[in-house]
Amino acid sequence: MRRTFLFVLMPLMLTMPALIAQNFTVPMKNGSLKFAVIGDTGTGDKHQLAVAKQLAATRAKFPFGFVIMVGDNIYGGNSAKDFDRKFALPYKPLLDGGVRFYAALGNHDDPSERFYKPFNMNGERYYTFKPADGVRFFALDSNYMDEKQLKWLDEQLAMSASDWKIAFFHHPPYSSGETHGSNETLRTQLEPMFVKHGVNVVLTGHEHFYERIKPQKGIAYFITGSSAKLREGNLTQTQLTAKGFDTGYTFMIVEIAGDDMYYQAITDTGATVDSGSVRRVGKVEPTPDRSAQPVVPPSGSDKRNRQ
Amino acid sequence: MNVIRFAGPAALTFAILASPATAQTKAAPEPPKPRVSEATKQKAAEQDANPEALVLADFQKRIDAYMTIHKEAAKDAPPLKETKNPAEIKAAQDALGATIRAARAMAKQGDIVTPELQNKFRRLMYPVVAGPAQKGTAEREVQADVKEELKENTEERKEESGKPVVLKVNATYPPDTPLPTTPPQILMNLPKLPEQLEYRIIGKNLIIRDVDANIIVDFVPNAIQ
Repeated sequence: MRRTFLFVLMPLMLTMPALIAQNFTVPMKNGSLKFAVIGDTGTGDKHQLAVAKQLAATRAKFPFGFVIMVGDNIYGGNSAKDFDRKFALPYKPLLDGGVRFYAALGNHDDPSERFYKPFNMNGERYYTFKPADGVRFFALDSNYMDEKQLKWLDEQLAMSASDWKIAFFHHPPYSSGETHGSNETLRTQLEPMFVKHGVNVVLTGHEHFYERIKPQKGIAYFITGSSAKLREGNLTQTQLTAKGFDTGYTFMIVEIAGDDMYYQAITDTGATVDSGSVRRVGKVEPTPDRSAQPVVPPSGSDKRNRQ
Repeated sequence: MNVIRFAGPAALTFAILASPATAQTKAAPEPPKPRVSEATKQKAAEQDANPEALVLADFQKRIDAYMTIHKEAAKDAPPLKETKNPAEIKAAQDALGATIRAARAMAKQGDIVTPELQNKFRRLMYPVVAGPAQKGTAEREVQADVKEELKENTEERKEESGKPVVLKVNATYPPDTPLPTTPPQILMNLPKLPEQLEYRIIGKNLIIRDVDANIIVDFVPNAIQ
């Protein structure tokens, strides 16, 4: 019995904390805001199910309260059966656990998805919500960026005094993808507004891989478009790339604690492919003319799990 | 000797003509010529107004008329509201679509975007899709971005292998076919639509789609030339 303890249980006990540490690099602080990010999910196939399963397993240890969906929530048909197969069933454990989903529309989404209650879009193509004091999200419809939406965004950003302003939408303004690449038009429209109003983080999808872009004009950009679809080998490492992963299906977990936002990109098999943090600098005031809030990655934030 | 004397310049001329640089500076397609109807011209003369402004005012009038039908139809259809049941959304969309279709049973292409409006739309879109622009200029970049986006839309549609979009007034936009992203530069150049309607580009054609009813309200064939 003693031998069993020494040779089997003891090493296991010793390696356990290391395994946990390897699995989770986010600090899991009390009172922090925890959420997950998924993108390009609505296929209903085995890959979506695998990511969903891993997401649920992750929540058992990292109790996130909500999930951001960066578009392409329902591919193909959008009958009631499709909504079940491509959303309600894969994420049933999370939905049953009280996790809220906040969706943005992708190019494969019918705008009528905005009426689907579990997407929490309040019947709007673009909307904003504040899940905690000091953090506000802005969901945009990047498929149809008309004057009305831009005006709305400008006003909402100007009105917000939140320390963290996080925008999420489908098309990435910066990307190293071979298929799509950076959406420069969208960047031209949105970036000046983001800079002007101190947006800290931008979450997007569309490209079927994971990419963390080097901070651009003080803004951290992430692409999480491989939560069900994957374009293997589609990511060309460019000067924009801080970290990329295009050989597996991924999602992100994020934790905001004070001025720090910790992120971790995890695969459907539970491997961590990227992690680190960004720090918010400065205080945001709700005035339209304030300067941008720089986001600086702390040194060595990218040292873990290098590919 | 003569052959040698002429061979050099001839080869040089050929090389210049065949060079990629020459291909790139290929002249942009001619802009669509303005086509304003005699009736509009006469009206403009009577009112001392700009005929182009009258053309756009006419579009607004036709859109308003459509919206009256839409709003009346919405009164009879189940409301489009937030629900946990996607079947209710679909049923509301279908019911609204059916009522609008019935109210516009005789509607045909060009009823809203009349021939002179189609011409106006082609002209409004021309600068961002095909107009002359010097290499390295912002205009050229805009055109390149728009072209890229439109190409991507086509590829996405093929990749998804959804049903083809039938260009027909009152036709349903196929639910399993991705909606193409409308380049914002094009949106900026076109007249504004109420939020229940939107512009989408299918290949070279521009459609006006009723978002809530998911039907094609009217379209401009070969909007991109």
